[in-house]
Amino acid sequence: MNKLKLLLVLAALFTSQQSFAAETKDKFSVCWSIYVGWMPWDYGDSSGIIKKWADKYDIEIDVVQFNDYIESINQYTAGQFDACTMTNMDALTIPAASFVDSTALIVGDYSNGNDGIVLKDKKTLKDIKGQQVNLVELSVSHYFLARALESVGMTERDIKVVNTSDADIVAAYSSKDVTAVVTWNPALSEITPQPSATEVYDSSKTPGEILDLMVANTETLKANPNFGKALVGAWYEIMEKMQVDSKIRTEMAVASGTDLAGYDAQLATTKMFYTPKDAVTFTADKQLAKTMEYVAKFSFKHGLLGESAPDFGFIGIETPAGIVGDKNNVQLRFDTSYMQMALDGKL
Amino acid sequence: MSFLEIKNVWKSYGDAQILERLNLTVEQGEFVSMVGASGCGKSTFLNMLLGKENQTKGEILLEGKPLIQEPDEERGIVFQRYSVFPHLTVLQNVMIADEFSAAKLLGFVFGKKKAEIKAKAEEFIAAVGLTPALNKYPHELSGGMQQRLAIAQALMKKPKILLLDEPFGALDPGIRADMHVLIRDIWKKNNLTIFMVTHDIKEGFELGSRVWVFDKLRHDPQAPNAYGAQVTYDLDIGSEGNKSDSKMKIDELSATSSNPIMQEEQA
Amino acid sequence: MKRLMNIEPSPALRGFLTLLPFILALFAYSIASEARLAENPHDKLLPSFTQIVDAVDRYAFTENKRTGEYLLWQDTGASLYRIGLGITISAIIGLFIGLCNGLLPIVRSGLSPFITIISLIPPMAILPILFITFGLDELAKVMLIIIGTAPVIIRDMQSQVMQLPKEQLIKAQTLGASTWLVTLRVVLPQIMPRLLASVRLTLGAAWLFLIAAEAIAAQEGLGYRIFLVRRYMSMDVIFPYVIWITTLAFAMDFSLRKISEVCFPWYHQGAK
Repeated sequence: MNKLKLLLVLAALFTSQQSFAAETKDKFSVCWSIYVGWMPWDYGDSSGIIKKWADKYDIEIDVVQFNDYIESINQYTAGQFDACTMTNMDALTIPAASFVDSTALIVGDYSNGNDGIVLKDKKTLKDIKGQQVNLVELSVSHYFLARALESVGMTERDIKVVNTSDADIVAAYSSKDVTAVVTWNPALSEITPQPSATEVYDSSKTPGEILDLMVANTETLKANPNFGKALVGAWYEIMEKMQVDSKIRTEMAVASGTDLAGYDAQLATTKMFYTPKDAVTFTADKQLAKTMEYVAKFSFKHGLLGESAPDFGFIGIETPAGIVGDKNNVQLRFDTSYMQMALDGKL
Repeated sequence: MSFLEIKNVWKSYGDAQILERLNLTVEQGEFVSMVGASGCGKSTFLNMLLGKENQTKGEILLEGKPLIQEPDEERGIVFQRYSVFPHLTVLQNVMIADEFSAAKLLGFVFGKKKAEIKAKAEEFIAAVGLTPALNKYPHELSGGMQQRLAIAQALMKKPKILLLDEPFGALDPGIRADMHVLIRDIWKKNNLTIFMVTHDIKEGFELGSRVWVFDKLRHDPQAPNAYGAQVTYDLDIGSEGNKSDSKMKIDELSATSSNPIMQEEQA
Repeated sequence: MKRLMNIEPSPALRGFLTLLPFILALFAYSIASEARLAENPHDKLLPSFTQIVDAVDRYAFTENKRTGEYLLWQDTGASLYRIGLGITISAIIGLFIGLCNGLLPIVRSGLSPFITIISLIPPMAILPILFITFGLDELAKVMLIIIGTAPVIIRDMQSQVMQLPKEQLIKAQTLGASTWLVTLRVVLPQIMPRLLASVRLTLGAAWLFLIAAEAIAAQEGLGYRIFLVRRYMSMDVIFPYVIWITTLAFAMDFSLRKISEVCFPWYHQGAK
């Protein structure tokens, strides 16, 4: 009898995190990981801006930093967090593909040169043919490489991918076995200055395809619109301040392990949407639907939408310009309504 | 020239003087029992004869030549324990003695040579009464059988000197008596020169043709290590008559000895 | 009633007690998994046993669409090759240097402190140096295993050689053995079962380094697959892989023990 009780307690422990999803509540947790476009969350946490906005809506928001990007998304997907920073592709392949209905609450920026392909002792992208390419497999780097290869009429069959941990990619480049890498900043900016390195392709050539988002659980958001309002309100306050105040950017720079110059250099290759207007305009554009179709096709091809997925449209993606894929199975939503509220000054 | 000459040998470890002024000669075929209290230096002396330790001063001559200062084939040894190789059977343990010299590089011999060594080994094993255990490993043998094996091993090399370091100390009394018979028999048959360290004075007298008693003659109560031990009694008990006389003498001596351990052991 | 410490379970009870934690764990898992799947049928954190079996079928018994290979076996082959090569080389290095260190004071005074220091360096902390020195291909993975395990084996072998009774070594010398023959016929055969024991103990570390190496840069391997599918949280693949790794590790440990028992009966029957 006691054993049965114990089991039930155990089972309850396992499942408890999931069950709050649809409830109204006043305590939320958000996770983020270190990346140029997400450093504002760190500043928002340390400066008290997030607390200020949470107080305004009479809720509590706990901000947690993860050192491991993928782990943060996994934790979000498992239901431990209500919102998490991630790229558009990972939002599709991790939470949405696990049928955790997710909403891109804030479209913060797109990579505009922050991702790059570097060849050692070779000068053009076409030279990549036949090489082993070190990158984080199945990440945006992989997607970005596929898009780059397309632009010169090649496919992934023309190269060989070697899965390489992002933390070790700079060191990996120094090894003689490695002749081609695909990576993002800050690692990219460590590699490109080396004399042997030529950045043959970067994300500014496919602008607006690699998006950095704040993704929230759709059900939680629906039940608790105040949570979305507080996050979006805080975000644009930070945006406004960081643009003009180099002290704030210095703080973000230090927190991400660089200095102001280094951080500004990374910002230069990141198209930040400092105003809600920019973000809403970008998100509402038809181009976003097209981009997500590319991403979905790539993800399907690599089996990232799950084994049961019959085609790339298996997981529906809703954008303001229309739904990509299955209308009856929308799991990822680009929602401009909260950003619109910021634009309209209604927060 | 005597068989073994010990000329003014001293031994010290740093400040601690262990042995001093040893001047002794031994003839071939003698069986020297070395007795004395713990820490009196009898084992150190045995180790010097073995080559494991070297004297600080003086010299030891074997057949007129300085003793080689590391263990070699001239001197066989049987320790109280661990003298046999646990990974080899009884037969292999004895054969290895000749395999070492027959195959300097490979360590193993084959064919006719092997058969010869095997025959010789079996003889020695028979001599110590281990034939029924030919293919057993040491851990399958009793303590007494292991010591028999160690003796057979040592005899293979026909050493000029056989050293016994408390060889029967770990055995039961009954087994020990059997071993005494065996070792005396082997000593007589092979005309060996034997040095034996023992705690058991009775055993020393029973087996030895000569008994050396190690003790400190000089004592400095302030610095117990300042003086080393010497051979305070060198008793020739080769003949039976001598033996009983000497026995009485040592009883008398140890009763008056200043050394309490000596008395205790005697009791 | 006897004291608790004196109560020995009967064989039947012992068997039951052995299985009990496994059964409980499986039971608890299935309850938790069902609860999560009831909430979201596509939850990937705690997949059902059916989903796990499907994944095993896909990875182990179905050709991969893209490569035409059976992924699990391909991964297993690659990983076993790396760990096998790494641990074998480690064992050989460990045996050779450990033996020299243990037996020869002149080598020991030169090498022993150095190896002690080296063995304390966590290899994962100096990965960049290893990449630059050994590259990123097969060699690097095998090297990481060697660097992680060889110093431990060396030190163990050294201490094992030094623990051999001095009496035996002296005895061998009085039987006319040279340093070489003492090594070959007295020390080496006695140290072999201890080497196998040492290898068994370092296997855990070897697996750890293998999986770390495969997580850092690889195209195949058990660790590679786990870290890859982790990107889309395929726990239905990760669980069977983890169980498979455990099984392989257990099988390696078991076979090393059996080899040792068959080859060195004297060592296992209480002779030390």
